[in-house]
Amino acid sequence: MIPEFNYVRAQSLTEAQQQLSTDGARVCAGGSDLLGCLRDEVFDCSKVVSVTGLDELRGITRSRDGGVNIGALTTIAELAANSTVQELYPGLAQAAAEVASPQLRNQGTIGGNICQKPRCWYYRGEFECLRKGGDTCYAMAGENQYHCILGGYRCYIVHPSDTAPALLALNASVQIAGPRGERVVPIEDFHVAPRDDVQRETVLEDNEIVVAISIPQPASGLRSSYRKVRARGSWDFALAGVALALAFDADRVTGGRVVLSGAAPIPWRSREVENTIIGQRIDATLAREAADAAMSEAAALKNNGYKIPLFKGVIEEQLLAIASA
Amino acid sequence: MNDPKEALYYIDGVDVPETPPARDLDQEPWGETTVVGKPLPRVDGYERVSGTAVYPADMSLPRMLYGAILRCPHPNAVVRSVDTSAAAAMSGVHVVMSGFTPSSRALQAHRQLIESNLFNPHCRHEGETVAAVAADNPYRAQDALRAITVEYDVLPFVADERRALEPDAPQVREGGNQVSDTQQYQRGDIEQGFVEADVVLEEDYRCECEIHTPMELHGCVAQWDGDSLTLWESTQGVYNVQAQAAAALGVPLSKVRVVNRYMGGGFGSKLAAGKYTVIAALLAKEAARPVKLVLTREETLLAVGNRPPSNMHLKVGVKRDGTLTAIQFTGTGTGGSQQAGGTSLLDWIVRDLYVCPNVRTETTDIYINAGPARPFRAPGHPQCSWALEQMMDALAQAIDMDPVELRLRNIPTVSQGRNNIPYTTTGLRACLEEGARSFEWQQTKDAITTESDSHIRRGIGVASGLWVAGGGGPPSTAIVKIYADGSVNLNMGASDIGTGTKTVMAMVVAEELAIAPGDVQIEWADTGSTQYATGSGGSKTVPTESPAVRAAAIDVKAQLLELAAGEMEVDASLLSLADGKVVAGGDSPKEVEISALRSLRRRGSVTGIGYRGPNPSGKAVNPFVAQFCEVEVNTRTGEVNILRFLGAHDSGRVLNLLTYRNQVFGGITMGIGYGMTEQRVLDVDQTGKMANKNWHDYKLPTALDVPADMTCLPIDLNDTEANTTGAKGIGEPATIPTAPAVANAIYNATGVRVTGTPIDPTKLVSALAAARGED
Ligand SMILES: Cc1cc2nc3c(=O)[nH]c(=O)nc-3n(C[C@H](O)[C@H](O)[C@H](O)COP(=O)(O)OP(=O)(O)OC[C@H]3O[C@@H](n4cnc5c(N)ncnc54)[C@H](O)[C@@H]3O)c2cc1C
Ligand code: SF4
Repeated sequence: MIPEFNYVRAQSLTEAQQQLSTDGARVCAGGSDLLGCLRDEVFDCSKVVSVTGLDELRGITRSRDGGVNIGALTTIAELAANSTVQELYPGLAQAAAEVASPQLRNQGTIGGNICQKPRCWYYRGEFECLRKGGDTCYAMAGENQYHCILGGYRCYIVHPSDTAPALLALNASVQIAGPRGERVVPIEDFHVAPRDDVQRETVLEDNEIVVAISIPQPASGLRSSYRKVRARGSWDFALAGVALALAFDADRVTGGRVVLSGAAPIPWRSREVENTIIGQRIDATLAREAADAAMSEAAALKNNGYKIPLFKGVIEEQLLAIASA
Repeated sequence: MNDPKEALYYIDGVDVPETPPARDLDQEPWGETTVVGKPLPRVDGYERVSGTAVYPADMSLPRMLYGAILRCPHPNAVVRSVDTSAAAAMSGVHVVMSGFTPSSRALQAHRQLIESNLFNPHCRHEGETVAAVAADNPYRAQDALRAITVEYDVLPFVADERRALEPDAPQVREGGNQVSDTQQYQRGDIEQGFVEADVVLEEDYRCECEIHTPMELHGCVAQWDGDSLTLWESTQGVYNVQAQAAAALGVPLSKVRVVNRYMGGGFGSKLAAGKYTVIAALLAKEAARPVKLVLTREETLLAVGNRPPSNMHLKVGVKRDGTLTAIQFTGTGTGGSQQAGGTSLLDWIVRDLYVCPNVRTETTDIYINAGPARPFRAPGHPQCSWALEQMMDALAQAIDMDPVELRLRNIPTVSQGRNNIPYTTTGLRACLEEGARSFEWQQTKDAITTESDSHIRRGIGVASGLWVAGGGGPPSTAIVKIYADGSVNLNMGASDIGTGTKTVMAMVVAEELAIAPGDVQIEWADTGSTQYATGSGGSKTVPTESPAVRAAAIDVKAQLLELAAGEMEVDASLLSLADGKVVAGGDSPKEVEISALRSLRRRGSVTGIGYRGPNPSGKAVNPFVAQFCEVEVNTRTGEVNILRFLGAHDSGRVLNLLTYRNQVFGGITMGIGYGMTEQRVLDVDQTGKMANKNWHDYKLPTALDVPADMTCLPIDLNDTEANTTGAKGIGEPATIPTAPAVANAIYNATGVRVTGTPIDPTKLVSALAAARGED
């Protein structure tokens, strides 16, 4: 049961920011993640500031540079079904369609999706772990089958979002409104690794709000895809996922990005794969080589060693698939 | 244990009275039927779907309070003190009780329900009850729980039964972590059997702990009227709850009325009263107001039941011609911190399913600091089936024989586990043969072996099984009343736990009285106003209740026809019922509307009583099953896509084809969860707490995990010896062989055998990589 809190529904961005400047206030968009955190008492929250009245934060529009601008309140379902997104960035549409379940996709927003809290079951459970201000990471020596194999440092979460890896592959940026005006942060710099701060998932300050996400015009010959492996067919986070946004000239990869989900505490750009394939034609041997390279730095915990062959398998499969797409 | 009935969970501890002799009326088996057997929708479908059906959690009574329970967060701790003063002072909080409250201690000890105290000072599992409150709304009740301060002495724990017998393991109870002596069973000469074998295989298997997660949470509403208690409880058996609550409270049965009209699933976890039942009763008594106490999802995942984890070893010998020569089985399991049947019925399938003269089994039940097991849809059987059916598959391959054929070579006609008494009927052969034909087993097998070497591989699997019970038996009493206008009322004590019991019974009445099932008014599951019935468990509700209901309908019909015979001046033997009329056949056809019978109108109603007669002596009544499935496996990622399933079932006569199919599809769905997604995760190395006590981390299968292509193939053998409706149970057999059928199909697709549940990519991808020689 959710402990008591105050609730305000802001009528303007300015009001939202004002409301947020009191201690213990939190932004609420769809609430699908926030309310779960409150019910599980993951953190304190004395005031819930709803931004759902801010219509200017909704909708998907073409931007002047030929890309798109996605309002933070756009629902995951809208994103998945949007024809422009499907056409220009099929990888993002696929990622959105892989999120959670139909109900959650209707309720959850893209802004909330990239800001959502980790799913580590110690963090969500009654454990005062490092990320919650305690002094132990329970996952390190505990039940860590769903934890990270890359980028772990004191904390071993995986980033839960499916859309963020696709956005990172597509070189998106996040527009943020704060008391001192707007700033734009490339999504690559938006998420915070535990090495930098173990108690923080994003660079957002307490009174900052994500307004929109913009994606540049697709480079010529860009192909994108998102593939997610999970333990059950729906309503489940990624065990392993791979977002590809690769530019091809005929059958040669000329550039682009490869991002892993379910691998690391932040959406994980695999430079090893990128370096292996850029400038090359992808064939079975190269795909395998790239898959092996992706895992060269991976370090398994007690129960998540399966992720290494799993990532190799899914990367290999997806590189071959995009090459023949 | 020659008669496993001795240990059957659903009659364990419940006194079984003698059945009065049946009236001497014709109860010949049905021939052709007009209603029975049809795929008819639920008589209460509208109520359930529209939301007008009132479940216990929907109940609201004037001045009702809300109860909540504070539970121990540690797997092993002693409660030093409980400070309830702050909670008790909060506004809207009416009662706060703990183990230090006198009223909570004045209880009679009742077996597993309350070991010694309602709030045991030594909490041996996470989620053990520590204190309880009643407040005027649910929020205040939760706030009150937060305001209670408990001092615990936290003790070392053991949360893995595989480590609990090590010498330095913390002791869950005095006297060590082994619950009782290892149970042994033996027939024939096992060593000789292995000598005679051409091939002997050995393997270890493990099934993870599965948790009942009925859609409707556990709970009740308790109301006192003077010294009489009424409980509206979500339960599979109102009479069980009545007996246990009365015993715990030390009051006569007549002072406890238990009612449960609609309920949303139990799967065995709601066969008994819970501590929560008694707590609600005490809170209500102390507050002198009704109390509703419904557990949270977390509480139900921790504290009210599970299917125990099982560790099994099998060694089996077979001859080249498929004859099994020896089966040796060892199993361990745990019912948690209580004696809760951690290995109950774990070896039954090994003893009884296939012909084998030489069998030895050993099972050892172990304590750990975890929540108690409760019976779960076919206790012990899915575990044993997981092991034996995968072993049969491996043996078939080792002797180069088709796995269906190997099973067909070993079909018993007698129950070997019961000193060779015969089964009334066994459809095992028909399940396998007709199932294989309908599934197109051979054609699919031929098609698959000629497929290309893509990384997506297809495979098929089979597994068969039987359920140790499923015949039902006495006692049961049912009453059927015909009112003056010819409409009908059925009174029975059995619960309809969502399976369609009411519908099936209405059809039985309709068959005998020639009316529409929807015209039968039903009163059910109320100890105050309906007849005695045992709990709905053991796949026995239909074979237990339907003969009693039929007998009552036959009884009332006979009386009605006698009345009519007098008025119509025709011999009663020439009369029958049709369309609300009494019809006389013979030379001078006559008919009278039932509502026009003067003697009936004067009496107001005619009442028939039916009792469940005894089962045939010296025979076993069991249902049989074979299931087949086809899967597609991504060998790079270990993802499994189950393409189709077929369940061929011998559960005697099919009384309602639709509810029968529901059971088969539901059983297969649950079996897929068991084999593919579900598992309790305890933080065994650090805190002993459950890591996944919520519905997204405890992964039930979703619609996308279950094939759209599911077929139910009833092997409709009318078991006339078993009882007067010819039906056997279907609920439990439907889930027994599902998981190993999938495991066998995965093996068929990939050549990789996964011997532990659940087979998700976390297990399969590593096994596949290892098989390719990668690390
Ligand atoms: C059972 C379950 C399964 C799920 N499975 C998946 C999955 O498979 N893949 C996946 O990607 N996600 C999954 N999710 C997460 C889900 O997609 C997110 O909960 C949802 O997208 C969040 O959107 P929201 O609008 O509801 O966010 P909210 O719950 O309102 O907010 C989430 C967080 O973001 C902050 N926030 C929200 N909007 C803004 C904003 N504009 N500016 C600044 N901060 C903001 C909030 O303060 C809060 O901390 C799952 C969630 C659940 C509950
Ligand atoms: S992985 Fe991070 S969130 Fe999980 S227990 Fe460790 S510190 Fe806490």
